[in-house]
Amino acid sequence: MATNLNPTDVVMIGLGAANGTAVLPLTKAGIKVIALEAGSWMPLSDFRADEVHNNVRRRITTGRKVWSEIPTFRTNPNEAARQGAAPTMMNAVGGTSIHWYANAWRFHPWDFKVRSETLKRYGADAIPKGSTVQDWPLSYDEIEPYYDLIEYEVGVAGKAGNVQGKIDQGGNVFEGPRKREYPMPPLRETEYTDMMKTAAKKAGYHAHRSPSAINSQQRDGRGACVYHGFCDTGGCPVKAKASTAVTTIPKAQQTNNLTIVERAHVTRIQTDNNGKVTGVTYLREGQEFFQPAKVVLLGAYTYENVRLLLLSKSKAYPNGLSNNHGQVGKHYIGHWAGREVSGLFPFDLNLWYGANSQAVVVNDWADDNFDHSGLGFIGGASLTVSHELHPIQGASMPTFGKAPEWGSKWKAFARQNAGRWTSAYAQCNSLPYENTWLDLDPTVKDPLGDPVTRITAGPKENEPRASNYAGKKAEEWFKAAGAVEVINVPNRGGPQLSTHAVGGTRMGDDPAANVANKWGFSHEVPNLGILGGSLLPTHGARNPTLTIQALAWRTADHLIKNWKSIAG
Amino acid sequence: MKDPKSLTETPVTRRTVIASATLIPLAALTLAPTPAAAQAAAPAAASAFSTDQRRILAAFVDRLVPKDESGPSASECGVIEYIDGSLADFMPKEKPALLQGLMALNAYAARTQGSAFADLSAEKKDAVLTAVDTNKATPELKRFFDRVRRLTLEGMFCDPSYGGNKNFAGWDLIRYPGAKMAVGPEDQRMKTPPKPYRQALYKGPAGKNPAGDKHGH
Ligand SMILES: Cc1cc2nc3c(=O)[nH]c(=O)nc-3n(C[C@H](O)[C@H](O)[C@H](O)COP(=O)(O)OP(=O)(O)OC[C@H]3O[C@@H](n4cnc5c(N)ncnc54)[C@H](O)[C@@H]3O)c2cc1C
Ligand code: SF4
Repeated sequence: MATNLNPTDVVMIGLGAANGTAVLPLTKAGIKVIALEAGSWMPLSDFRADEVHNNVRRRITTGRKVWSEIPTFRTNPNEAARQGAAPTMMNAVGGTSIHWYANAWRFHPWDFKVRSETLKRYGADAIPKGSTVQDWPLSYDEIEPYYDLIEYEVGVAGKAGNVQGKIDQGGNVFEGPRKREYPMPPLRETEYTDMMKTAAKKAGYHAHRSPSAINSQQRDGRGACVYHGFCDTGGCPVKAKASTAVTTIPKAQQTNNLTIVERAHVTRIQTDNNGKVTGVTYLREGQEFFQPAKVVLLGAYTYENVRLLLLSKSKAYPNGLSNNHGQVGKHYIGHWAGREVSGLFPFDLNLWYGANSQAVVVNDWADDNFDHSGLGFIGGASLTVSHELHPIQGASMPTFGKAPEWGSKWKAFARQNAGRWTSAYAQCNSLPYENTWLDLDPTVKDPLGDPVTRITAGPKENEPRASNYAGKKAEEWFKAAGAVEVINVPNRGGPQLSTHAVGGTRMGDDPAANVANKWGFSHEVPNLGILGGSLLPTHGARNPTLTIQALAWRTADHLIKNWKSIAG
Repeated sequence: MKDPKSLTETPVTRRTVIASATLIPLAALTLAPTPAAAQAAAPAAASAFSTDQRRILAAFVDRLVPKDESGPSASECGVIEYIDGSLADFMPKEKPALLQGLMALNAYAARTQGSAFADLSAEKKDAVLTAVDTNKATPELKRFFDRVRRLTLEGMFCDPSYGGNKNFAGWDLIRYPGAKMAVGPEDQRMKTPPKPYRQALYKGPAGKNPAGDKHGH
């Protein structure tokens, strides 16, 4: 039997990037929050400058939960799905914002209106076949104040390209108008970032330094980046990288309105006969507890958000919580992103040190920043080249057709070239499709006996075309920079398990086609809020987390303003 | 209800937590240097390999990374110790497949070249490995080959605390300057190699995988 605990105002499931953001405005407004987090606090001493630890073994996590529920994947509904080899995310207070790369992007205004803008500019035929794409229920202008809030709260280093309509060539000239400049200048300029910016100009592109949620200078009691080069899937030993564990969560603790329960594994969300949620059941150290709450905020990352809803069946929701319209799991998008184009240079680039987001980006071939007439796709990809290369990764380089992959010839090749190559990371605008969804796997279970999430992702045409198009532009970029060899290995398989998994509890005005409303609350369950990428109706051509955090803050604000009607 | 066994029972065994840490002085992060010679791998409880198996593995990885004018071979760099340590700590589940692969490689060598793998000449070893790599033997052997090649790269270029990259020979080979905590602008320049920093940050590999042995890599 579960032990009944004292009721609280809000219970949070997971305390990662999304809930870890919402918790600050909520607790500041005097709302009592109990956050149930499967992981625990991570000490700075766990953050090693160690590629085997971080990247090979993926040990930056405090629990085994993500490892025990890795989703399965198939490309065709007639096949059995196979379980992934490793999870994408991690368990800890602060969630995956602890080992993320901290590329902190706003989405483009076009992302919020892909459908209507495409109809307007290219006509109905241009909407990719089988896509369920719809406009977001909010515009860029509505989310902009929250982008601004989060950028200043956690600290984003960057250079603005559009402050209230005034274009600055030093920044991203394609971005939507922002209220003000970034709170900090970009991370350190290097000979490499200069070279790639100059090369972009030569190729006729606009390039700029990428925005990072990393202190480029001391700020808000946290240190500046020491460029040690273990940002990628590693924790920051000087707290320069903005995880919620060093930004919003400690501040929320200062209000005394936040109780964090570490190593609490939520198994079900409970409902009464009127269809309202009453709280959650969780396991901790072998004991089962029921935590009653007026409002439940679900922020456990896309795969677990969907799984917990589908597992939480009740009289009011026989097909899973908030699923009386059959929309939970639908409109899932695995972000089409990858390192496809690599360049080999005739001199040492020495990219070993630095942060992954100490980068240069080209946005000319993303969004609707160029005319797509006759191209056969919409959207495109941003192209990023970065610092930070680890030794195993460096030596695992492609051999550009110039050497075998082992033996003395390989050794001589690697000796000369491991420090002379780099790849461009192409991130595509990605859309939802009828042939792509999440549900529960019929056979693969976690150790509690609950099914894991299953990904079904059928073939697509739009994203590979967009990626291919942008990849050619990356080849030209590398050539303009002086690369002697360039290879382009297009990712044709598409994303399986994704670190940028979005959709599945899509937000939109129509309850028949969307799980959540424009505020992130369930259409069917008035006191259930959903936070995280699972709300996103489309994926932009950039990393999603700043958008996730901006939306989380907005959901919190909506709850504060409407506390009586939602919690009552 | 279900079996109420939590999946997240990993106890907190740590000293400092982020929440209580304030600004960290850099000096505190740059751990006292350990001379390269003192950074042995954590003593392996018992090797996963018999003497014979070890001999086959050494013969194999030393064709992937031979001793030559560019530097020492894979086994001289500690690749065997790295793999052994990984099997003990991180991927015990892979042991049967690896042992089976070694035996299969030996059998394939005997069948196609007339002798145990480790006793073949370098040319004949390469002929065997090329056949395996190009999938002319069996798909299982090809998988085994790819896995060992990957582990060899890990053992060549890992932090020396894992037993590989002995005397930083792997890092010297590719001019990787070494892990350190404060990186100045002069260390991020092109063309001129950054000054090598050859001091181990850690005395041993990190603690047990919180993800549990069961789950592999
Ligand atoms: C290697 C890597 C690099 C990345 N780099 C970037 C980047 O540069 N830029 C960017 O924008 N994004 C990046 N991302 C993506 C980013 O990490 C995610 O978008 C973000 O963390 C999602 O926030 P979330 O709160 O939904 O999930 P998380 O941050 O993962 O938090 C979810 C939390 O919920 C907990 N939880 C899960 N299930 C339960 C349960 N049943 N009970 C209790 N607690 C539970 C988990 O332990 C976890 O702490 C990266 C991701 C990875 C893996
Ligand atoms: S590169 Fe900078 S931000 Fe990244 S982990 Fe190191 S010090 Fe922190």
